[in-house]
Amino acid sequence: MSVVNYGTREITCKIVYYGPGRSGKTTNLQHVYSQLPEERKGKMVSLATDTDRTLFFDFLPLDLGTISGFATRFQLYTVPGQVYYAATRKLVLQGVDGVVFVADSQSRQLAENIESLQDLHANLAEEGLDPRTLPLVMQYNKRDLPASEISPIEELDETLNFRGVPHFGAIAINGGGVFETLRSIASIVLGRLSAPVAKST
Amino acid sequence: MASDAKKGAEGEEESGEFAEFLADISQEIAQRVASLSPSSKSTPIQKKERPAPTDPRVIVDWENIADRMIEEMR
Repeated sequence: MSVVNYGTREITCKIVYYGPGRSGKTTNLQHVYSQLPEERKGKMVSLATDTDRTLFFDFLPLDLGTISGFATRFQLYTVPGQVYYAATRKLVLQGVDGVVFVADSQSRQLAENIESLQDLHANLAEEGLDPRTLPLVMQYNKRDLPASEISPIEELDETLNFRGVPHFGAIAINGGGVFETLRSIASIVLGRLSAPVAKST
Repeated sequence: MASDAKKGAEGEEESGEFAEFLADISQEIAQRVASLSPSSKSTPIQKKERPAPTDPRVIVDWENIADRMIEEMR
């Protein structure tokens, strides 16, 4: 869980973009990265390999500067969506503070969305995190595709969003809905920030 | 866009989508930090209430105790 560290005066939050392969997780991060002012642009790291033994994810450190005297950082990660990278997804989820589930709006991808959501729940449970309470936001991406190819948002929401968490339609390829989604998950995560528990002596 | 320019973290000028995001988040962080601050949670130490006497022979409050002690010693 993310904490406000009064000792080091730091706030660090880890947000993971989860979802099936090719749903647009990396595109979300790429858009965020493209909007960063030059002086704030760190390195967006993308590691790609062929085997599950090696890390394969995107990482974007978002340094928000000093806010109220606290050095504030958001760490944005994506997981590999492909089914066979299960171990990597578990690794990336360690220490997560909030999840953005990026669903592919295409009707033919509905089964993949459901499978990925189930995979998320299973992996969170394995990490000892409660999938029913972890900060979560749904993003229904690719809303720019022809209406005949995509499911209505209401239908996607009914099928995937059983917790009734905030949801956003998005066209990540041109940035639509990307920052709205990020703002929402950041807000939920910040609302759950806690002060560190004092150590007993 | 210049029209989108907003004050980011601790007075830095930012612009665009990131600036709006930063402005919103900064406000939330400020509120959260203030509400969680250890100093905001400290409460003044309450003076311990003296228990009400249950036995009439027990003297709980003895006014001018110094004078009474001197008197007793005479």
